[in-house]
Amino acid sequence: KHSIMSHSVPERDPVLDFAKYTDQRVRVRFQGGREVEGFLKGYDKLDNLVLDDSIEFLRDPNDLSQVTDKTRPLGLIICRGTQICLICPSDDMQEISNPFPDEEEVEAEGDAET
Amino acid sequence: TRKMASVIRIQPLALIDKCIGSKIWIIMKSNKELVGTLRGFDEYVNMVLDDVTEYDITPNGIKETQLDQILLNGSNICMLVPGGDPTFST
Repeated sequence: KHSIMSHSVPERDPVLDFAKYTDQRVRVRFQGGREVEGFLKGYDKLDNLVLDDSIEFLRDPNDLSQVTDKTRPLGLIICRGTQICLICPSDDMQEISNPFPDEEEVEAEGDAET
Repeated sequence: TRKMASVIRIQPLALIDKCIGSKIWIIMKSNKELVGTLRGFDEYVNMVLDDVTEYDITPNGIKETQLDQILLNGSNICMLVPGGDPTFST
């Protein structure tokens, strides 16, 4: 007889080991576009985070996908794991040139094909 | 011999629990923020708040609404700030 409970999912190690990033400055991006940075002080299995000395990067009010350099201080915060999209060390970020082809070029190609 | 790392790690939900009874500032996924006194929360971080000021952030200004006691649905809560002292700009 097999019961539903006889096969339990083995617990896997988390893909990202938060212990490594504790006390380091990390950048966190949320669903909906918010972006914050702070020192990682705590976490749990559901990816909720505790950040200290944190700041939020304010977005362009006319284009909410664009993050500006303007910031506001938040301090000690809890970030909801359900809303987190991305976590990365804040030191290792570097802006690169736009890898996407020019929008005008792509449109011209499309017209030529039809 | 192995050294024990004496890292003091803060559990996020434990920190929220410590806020019960005091002011907390909630930042939603959208452009809405609330400040109120935390009465309690559940495992989904739905929250019961007292004496709430709701801030609607628009490019033209911030609209404030006062609410007595609310149950705030946790599904859109992005960040929680103990202390409830909001700063809206630099």
